[in-house]
Amino acid sequence: MAGDVTAVVVDDHPVVRAGVAHWLSTAEPPIVLVGSGEDVEVAWAAPQDAVVVLDLHLGGVTPATAELRRLAEDGRRVVVYSMRADDEIALQCLELGALSYLTKAEGAEHLVQAVRAAADGQSYTPPALAGALAGDRSETRPALSPRETEVLVEWFQSESKEFVAQRLNIALSTVNSHLERIRVKYAAIGRQAPTKAALVARAIQDGLIGLDDL
Amino acid sequence: MTDLAVVTTTRQVLLVVVTAIQLVLTLPSLAIGPGSTTAWTAYTLLTAVLAIVAGHVAAGRAQLGTAVAAGLTAVVLVASVLATTAQAAGTPLGSRDWAFGLIGWYLLLVLVERPRPLVAALGAHLALSVGWFLHAGNGDGGTAGVVILSGTSFQVGVMVITRVLLRDGRLAAEAAAEHDAARTREELARQREQDLRAGFEGQLGAVLPLLADLADEVVSVADEPTRVRCSVAAVQLRRLFAENDDVPDPLLHELTACVDVAERRGVVVSLAVSGTATPVPTEVRRELVAPMARALAVAGGRAKVSLLRTATEVRVAVVADAPGELPHHDGVPEVVAVETSVHSGLVRSEARWRAT
Repeated sequence: MAGDVTAVVVDDHPVVRAGVAHWLSTAEPPIVLVGSGEDVEVAWAAPQDAVVVLDLHLGGVTPATAELRRLAEDGRRVVVYSMRADDEIALQCLELGALSYLTKAEGAEHLVQAVRAAADGQSYTPPALAGALAGDRSETRPALSPRETEVLVEWFQSESKEFVAQRLNIALSTVNSHLERIRVKYAAIGRQAPTKAALVARAIQDGLIGLDDL
Repeated sequence: MTDLAVVTTTRQVLLVVVTAIQLVLTLPSLAIGPGSTTAWTAYTLLTAVLAIVAGHVAAGRAQLGTAVAAGLTAVVLVASVLATTAQAAGTPLGSRDWAFGLIGWYLLLVLVERPRPLVAALGAHLALSVGWFLHAGNGDGGTAGVVILSGTSFQVGVMVITRVLLRDGRLAAEAAAEHDAARTREELARQREQDLRAGFEGQLGAVLPLLADLADEVVSVADEPTRVRCSVAAVQLRRLFAENDDVPDPLLHELTACVDVAERRGVVVSLAVSGTATPVPTEVRRELVAPMARALAVAGGRAKVSLLRTATEVRVAVVADAPGELPHHDGVPEVVAVETSVHSGLVRSEARWRAT
């Protein structure tokens, strides 16, 4: 893709903003931070293609889901970065159009990968989110194939895609495409958001998933 | 004594009494008196009632059904009418009236366990006798009163005694039942305590043999295998202590306890939980946690413990830096499926339980 990957960090804790800035700038290749602040205004002020790393708890008790919804509806690519390891809120963020949901217990590696994937309009599923998807009992959850479920569970359990690939005797790229297919299936349900529609459209274009699977 | 036993005994006694009165007292008086066909019909009817009740008692059905009791009462009252109206006008209510006392005994025999119908039937019989007596125009009211009083008071007395016996019988039965229930509760509590103790001994697993070996100096803590055994025993004990804690999510509580022990050993453990809490029986929890506890006991470096709960199953997994060898486990799991494998320097052990 053209140009560098850019990002903007919205978090009410300076130490988190500093930490994320450091992780992104030291990534290889580096991710350029174009904005940083405690208010969601900095995200709106940033260029459209900057990935928004959004903390769900901006000083208040209620999670910033309304802000997330507005950003997603505007086609912004959002990576939610939350201290809450709560399955329900994670699934809700995906429903609203976030491309990834990371808990703050998950380290730099996952955050950098999530930001890179989001810059490309792609989803990223870290292990905790895989667990939330695997444990999803909602009525509206999409039907996953046994293989897809197994990949989700193994990824949640081991946090190592190499390990999952060895365990299930599949290629590393196959592990990734299973995870992507699952996310596309989730993107195809529920409320509409440009980011979700783009995810589905691209997956169909790439032949990753057929219309019959949705 | 139950209601049935009281009624049975009373009815048996009444059968003997009625038979005796009918044969010894009534028959001679009827035979020497001016016996009419009507009187003999009444006598025959009464004998038939006696036979039917005796038959029921002999067959072990001392408690008469409502239909039978009603039918027999009707027959006795018909006999009462026949016997009373068969008296010649002016006959004094007394020794010459063979039927008056006997009918009362018959009503008692048939209705002993039904006080209200009994009183009603006795009243009807009494009213009929007195009515006929007055209609006949006999003026000797005093003698009639004595006869009525002596005849009925004895029968009412029997009825009252029966009621008292029935009530006492019920109270005694209730007391006995309460006593039995208390005994059962006591026995259950004792059994539960015994089970708990046995359970603890059973769950101590590797601890007791290890302590015995250390005490006998068969093994030394300087050896790596012994240290691994100690580590396994420590996790087992910690889990056992957590097992009976009253917490909202016992499975997670036990996992956390095991993770805690491993972290004290310097292992960096991350614990991930997915899905909502579902009830898991104690036995299943033991089997779910055991493989992960064993793997954690020997893990070095890093370990990831995960708990996944879907609508249909519960899965506890650990992925850790592979140790030399997993400790031998005692007992084969019965309700969970355990899978252990080693890939690229990592050991993975998972226990799965199908909730449905």
